[in-house]
Amino acid sequence: MDNMNLKISASPHVRSKTTTSDIMFDVILALIPTTGFGIYYFGMHAAILVVACILSAVCFEYLYQYFMNRTITVGDYSAVVTGLLLALNLPPELPVWMAVLGSGFAIIIVKQLFGGLGQNFMNPALGARCFLLLSFTSHMTNFVLDGVSTATPLNVLKQGGKVDLLEMFRGHIGGTIGETCTLAILIGAVYLLFKKIISPTIPVLYIGTFTICVAIYAVVKDYDVLNYVLGNLCGGGLMLGAWFMATDYVTSPITSKGKIIYGIILGLLTFVLRAFGASAEGVSYAIIISNLLVPLIENVTVPRPFGIAKEKRSSNNNKEEKKASENNEESEEISENKEKDKFDQKGVILAICSICVITVVMGAALAAVYKITKKPIEETTLKAKQDAYKEVYEEAEQINPIEGINYDLLYADLKKEGFGNITIDEINEVVSGEESVGLILLLSNNSGYGGTIQMAIGIDLNCEIKGIAFLTLNETAGLGMNADSKSFKEQFIGKSVNSFKYSKTGAVADDEVDAISGATITTSAVVETINAAIDITNKAVGR
Amino acid sequence: MKHTFKGGIHPYEGKELTMDCEIKEYLPVGEIVIPLSQHIGAPAKAIVKKGDRVLVGQMIAEAQGFVSANIHSSVSGTVKTIESRLTSSGQKVMSIVIDNDKQFDEVDYVNNPKNIEELERDEIIEAIKLAGVVGMGGAGFPTHVKLSPKNIDDIDTILVNASECEPYLTSDYRRLLEESDVIIDGLRIVLKAFKNAKGIIAIEDNKPEAIKIMKDKAKQYEDIIVNVMPTKYPEGAERQLIYANTGRYISSKMLPADAGCVVHNVDTIHAIYEAVMLGKPLFRRVMTITGDAANAPCNLLISVGTSYSEIIEAAGGLKDGVKKLIAGGPMMGKAIYSTDIPATKSASAILALSQDEVSMYEPSACIRCGRCVSVCPGRVMPNKLADLAVNNDIDGFLKYNGMECCECGCCSYVCPAKRHLTQTIAGTRKLVLANRKK
Repeated sequence: MDNMNLKISASPHVRSKTTTSDIMFDVILALIPTTGFGIYYFGMHAAILVVACILSAVCFEYLYQYFMNRTITVGDYSAVVTGLLLALNLPPELPVWMAVLGSGFAIIIVKQLFGGLGQNFMNPALGARCFLLLSFTSHMTNFVLDGVSTATPLNVLKQGGKVDLLEMFRGHIGGTIGETCTLAILIGAVYLLFKKIISPTIPVLYIGTFTICVAIYAVVKDYDVLNYVLGNLCGGGLMLGAWFMATDYVTSPITSKGKIIYGIILGLLTFVLRAFGASAEGVSYAIIISNLLVPLIENVTVPRPFGIAKEKRSSNNNKEEKKASENNEESEEISENKEKDKFDQKGVILAICSICVITVVMGAALAAVYKITKKPIEETTLKAKQDAYKEVYEEAEQINPIEGINYDLLYADLKKEGFGNITIDEINEVVSGEESVGLILLLSNNSGYGGTIQMAIGIDLNCEIKGIAFLTLNETAGLGMNADSKSFKEQFIGKSVNSFKYSKTGAVADDEVDAISGATITTSAVVETINAAIDITNKAVGR
Repeated sequence: MKHTFKGGIHPYEGKELTMDCEIKEYLPVGEIVIPLSQHIGAPAKAIVKKGDRVLVGQMIAEAQGFVSANIHSSVSGTVKTIESRLTSSGQKVMSIVIDNDKQFDEVDYVNNPKNIEELERDEIIEAIKLAGVVGMGGAGFPTHVKLSPKNIDDIDTILVNASECEPYLTSDYRRLLEESDVIIDGLRIVLKAFKNAKGIIAIEDNKPEAIKIMKDKAKQYEDIIVNVMPTKYPEGAERQLIYANTGRYISSKMLPADAGCVVHNVDTIHAIYEAVMLGKPLFRRVMTITGDAANAPCNLLISVGTSYSEIIEAAGGLKDGVKKLIAGGPMMGKAIYSTDIPATKSASAILALSQDEVSMYEPSACIRCGRCVSVCPGRVMPNKLADLAVNNDIDGFLKYNGMECCECGCCSYVCPAKRHLTQTIAGTRKLVLANRKK
């Protein structure tokens, strides 16, 4: 009987069926509604981004582990979850290479360099989102819906406007791929709660705290409270963040009290960032900042072990306890524990208070910096604009903004002519004497190599280009940045043509300009913008 | 009042295998090996020598010191030798080896002619001490010591632990069904020893028949009630059991008596009855032989000292392809590598499994899901403790209340990363305890 080849191990000898990959798989399942919805609304490119993010995340993880001689753990699906969450946090028109870069940042920098699964100090997907947001701000904040760049509902709310709540609940709004449809996110959340993958503590307290703060703010600011509060709840990344990112196991507290504190901090921080911050959105930053507080929160919320000096349920038991301890040598230990416990409790409250204060101070500081710098920045921007206008139309005596333009018609026309990338920021009339002699157009084109290019273009009524100036230009130094060189700009000046073309081999005809060497995309964007200006002028004078 | 605690798990119960198997008596035929240390405390001292003839029920080793227990022979025969033998703990223990003559000649027991109501505390304790009764739930704490706390008058609750929360085990359940009167009487005897106490029989709600029968029998006694607890592991852990039934907490450093409680396992209550009323020492117990690799799962009344291989044989043997044999239940039992070990007073089960779930999974990185923290009945942070244990940070381990772990195994069970949390923590706890003794 002794040759049975028995296995030996320490107890317990049974294990639950749930594994890490099961949990990750459930999270993926829960994300399917909102992913599907995003792809349905935002189209093919959104689907490509989702696939690209997931594939690259898995590849980065595999390659890193392969080259670092680690155990390959791509089978646990955690990289898939990271890739998917990242994709859901990207605007639908983001270039694929940026998304892949984001995946790389999430997996290699945030996750693997800190020790891999379970060791990352912040949510990899959100870390990557913030990295992309800082690196490619214009791309990351360009939300296209039905082929047109739109303001997100949060931007509208921030400027005091009202939003269509039903559309927001359905998700037919501008935003990142996965954050727009509140309904789809809630379906996923219910699934996670049902499968007990997440506990409701963090999301409920997060959303609850945030709602209370926003409601108070709306009352103080005299907004339409219901519209403002619900708009803030359904808009931006709050729902996706609260149910899928704030509940990320690795970067949220493990203790039950810690979860409560964490949820409240998230709510406060999101509110502060959204209401007083420079950007309309604040969920991503709120979550990654709170992620950094998790070790601290956990340290002060270590659970009191079973039976260690807990307040007695009734005074009766208390008496017994006292009686029992009187003639018991353990009594000293008990009272010692009680003493220690009191001390610990004090420490906990102190720490919680200081965490909250730090949170509020941080938010307030951000808001203050924004408030202080807002006016000087505005003044500088205005001055730069005035200087540019003078530069592009030297003989202008007076520059007046034109009012009463039907922008819808104008945009429809621009789109028809193939100028879908152009946004009209301002149209000004140049008056000399009593007569209108030309226009100064302030146009933005989002198809530059480094994001949006904003240009002021002076043009007379015969469509002769008087001058061009760049107000925003983030192109490659030494290549695309040469667009701002005198030699390039002069090619347009004084010419009156229907549309410009660029040539890489040397301009011959009157309507041809030399491309900036090594910066075809920039050239194309600049030429396109100028052509749009010509088109608008032509429409304006009725040609 | 809800009779439960915070945390705990619901593993596969496996009780249906043996729930309906009546207890069958099995008389051993082979050599009997009786270890001198079957209890917590000092090993007993052999009082027979090689060549002596012994009878069933004859004392063969005597308690050494206060925390110790007498040991009796379970067969008649000749003492073959006294030597070190392997036990289920994995260690070799001095044991009395008896050549079984299969006659089962029994010593004459001194029956107590008294009615339970007339019993005195001292004679109860004395009878129990003489009979070598120990806690039969697993730890083997000498019962007469348990019944002699410093604060006898403060003891207001005698708990009969009939939760049998450990999966697969049904021996206590069968005792409740088949010998309910004995259990009630056994509890009444203990109550006689504590004048201020009332009795609680605590049963999990997955044993409705036992609940019904016990409630029925307890009806006529004012001071005995039956508490129904939700089915949850480890509902039967002493500290959790006390909390669930009285709302009182005790820490790992305290004894149940500090909360005014004395806790006994069902089989122990049975042994107390036999010791006090029949004068019969403890040398038999009920064992559940079960598992998916057991040919005929059953409950056997076995004799202490019978080898596991003989018990398995008597229970119908094992199927081919058995991967793991466990002495005890799946949560806290010990995996054994040899069946050439004797059953002791606290051996509750032999579990034969055709699959080893532990080696099926490779431990992976902790994802901090918090499942271990939420199921921990001791309310510590197993993930954190295991980390500290691995890094050999004893101070941190103590700071994070590592000594409050009761090694119930819930954390290892739920861990989705299949980390060996309980094992890691238990190892460091042993180290700390060993250092304290130095």
